[in-house]
Amino acid sequence: MTLAILSMPLRLVAQSAGDSIRTHSFVLGIGSSHQLDTYLSPLNYTGYQVSFLRETLRMTRLANRRVSFQSLWQGTFSQTSNISGTTTDWGAHIGYDALWHYNWTPVQGLRLMAGGAIGADAGVLYNSRGGNNPAQGRVNVDISASVMAIYKFRLWRQDLSFRYQANMPLMGVMFSPQFGQSYYEIGTGNANGNACFSQPGNAFSLWQQFTVDIPVGKYVVIRTGYLCDIRQSHVHGIKMHDRSHSFMIGFVKHFRNVGREKRKVADVIL
Amino acid sequence: MKNMFLRTRTTGIKAGFPASHFLCPSKIGGRAKRRGYVLTVFRFDFSPFGRRPLVPFSVFRFIILFSVLTLASCVDEVQFANTPEGNMEALWKIIDEHYCFLDYKAEAIGLDWNEVHARYRGKLNKKMTSTQLQEVLCNMLGELQDGHVNLYTAADVGRYWAWKEGYPSNLNDEIRELYLGNDYRIAAGLYYRILDDNVGYIVYHSFSSGIGEGNIAEVLHHLRLCSGLIIDVRGNGGGQLDYAQRLASHFTNERILVGYRSYKTGTGHSDFSELTPEYLEPSTTIRWQKPAIVLTNRGCYSATNTFVRDMLCCPNVRTLGDSTGGGGGMPFTSELPNGWLVRFSACPQFDKEKQHIEFGIAPTIPCELKTEDVLKGKDTLIETARELLGKR
Repeated sequence: MTLAILSMPLRLVAQSAGDSIRTHSFVLGIGSSHQLDTYLSPLNYTGYQVSFLRETLRMTRLANRRVSFQSLWQGTFSQTSNISGTTTDWGAHIGYDALWHYNWTPVQGLRLMAGGAIGADAGVLYNSRGGNNPAQGRVNVDISASVMAIYKFRLWRQDLSFRYQANMPLMGVMFSPQFGQSYYEIGTGNANGNACFSQPGNAFSLWQQFTVDIPVGKYVVIRTGYLCDIRQSHVHGIKMHDRSHSFMIGFVKHFRNVGREKRKVADVIL
Repeated sequence: MKNMFLRTRTTGIKAGFPASHFLCPSKIGGRAKRRGYVLTVFRFDFSPFGRRPLVPFSVFRFIILFSVLTLASCVDEVQFANTPEGNMEALWKIIDEHYCFLDYKAEAIGLDWNEVHARYRGKLNKKMTSTQLQEVLCNMLGELQDGHVNLYTAADVGRYWAWKEGYPSNLNDEIRELYLGNDYRIAAGLYYRILDDNVGYIVYHSFSSGIGEGNIAEVLHHLRLCSGLIIDVRGNGGGQLDYAQRLASHFTNERILVGYRSYKTGTGHSDFSELTPEYLEPSTTIRWQKPAIVLTNRGCYSATNTFVRDMLCCPNVRTLGDSTGGGGGMPFTSELPNGWLVRFSACPQFDKEKQHIEFGIAPTIPCELKTEDVLKGKDTLIETARELLGKR
């Protein structure tokens, strides 16, 4: 993916206005998860998490083609237990982020990107021994700041790409029950105050990934890396954190949009 | 304190960086100095491509600030050790922050939760067994006098059942079986028949047994020609509130206020939301228009307590027997470091006069099961209810 991004400026000049390159990647991750939700239990829960990350990256025409667009889908499933192993929590979450970055290329091989994002997440954490408080729902919509750095170099006759990216929500709206409010209460329509304004002071979260793209053969690019996903909140007296560290591996595909005028009739299926 | 400087030469990555690759320290901002602050800051100018810093100082300031913010922003909860002291402190804190009747019981029964802490803290020692710890913790929870408070361990369930064990049961199951006979009908959790004097008789053993609108409609249709109805919920320890409200909704023709509820909004003993009114909506199917009597005893607890509260607001409905056991708080659960589960009342309920129903609801018609009736195979409460319904 980063190979494509790094070569974009040169290619874009050579191509017609309708041409663009999209980079799609799909990676799977497995790692550790550390969870706390005092609505369910005051104890820390630890266990594993599996996740997927679906990413699309392309340049846009904004700011003289210096703004890129990134689309991120992330899904996770976690299973954790308390220190004594008597209770299990099952968690699931899915989220989407749309990110726009302004690109700088100070020197050849290095690309710095900074921008913002709009994202939404929804998830649930279920406690196997809860009574009238067996589960916690999580829904939030955020505006985030995002930075990314991509560095490309050649090693052992291979073009390798390193990337670091960090996203941090700056403000948003999140759902949270009141301190001792049951979901039965919310279900009866008494849901005042359950939508809260979130900002780093009460919901500091940080999403980071470090990836390496390694070409294998002529057509395949393998992506491997590390994903650190820290989600926290302290709203209505309920403390929550979900910190995960995952090893990611997957593949990258590049697609070129040749534009309508370049398409041959015989090649068009639909 | 002197400003500290660091100059380190590093090895550039061959393929990407020029040879001049330094981490260079430089001066810190002077404003802090002028104001007399003592400040020590490392500044690194990452300048791999020439003299001009690639990343300005403001960025590094941001990174340092960001790192400090990250560390300071960790959201964590105090984790108690898995020791007798740790488990007791964890349990005391859970109740102190989440239990909803501390203020009410301080007034009603003189409960002082801080005094309880001091008293039971002294009963712990490091060598005590798990069984001994459970006994101490259960006794501590017993101070709350709440049937909704339990401590679940692998070996036992710690409980406070004095709300019913300390009173006459006013129920003889064998005699009640005699009234049902052998030809009674069963609609989900409802056992029912028509007694000899044309009075309908329904027994509901537990609100954990589900009932639907169809079940209730069928039962009331079967009993439609009866002169009155007896609903026997003695010994019903509760279950689902939905079933209780569903059954009660067949005894009102209009939307009526039956009570209030609340929930905790913080860790303080008095941190509660405003009272939310609870209304009983009339059923859209068959609704009972004749007199009805609900038989109660001290075994009526939790959802059954709420059912009795709701029924008392319905026209043509009276209660007969003993006070209910209570249980006017919806329970939540939490857990201790050793894995034991604790259940406690978290959301209080009130009657329509905004009074707590935690310690039970008095009957409209007090009545006790008489020994001489038991010897005759008669149930005093049922017979009294039949007599009252027959008089009409």
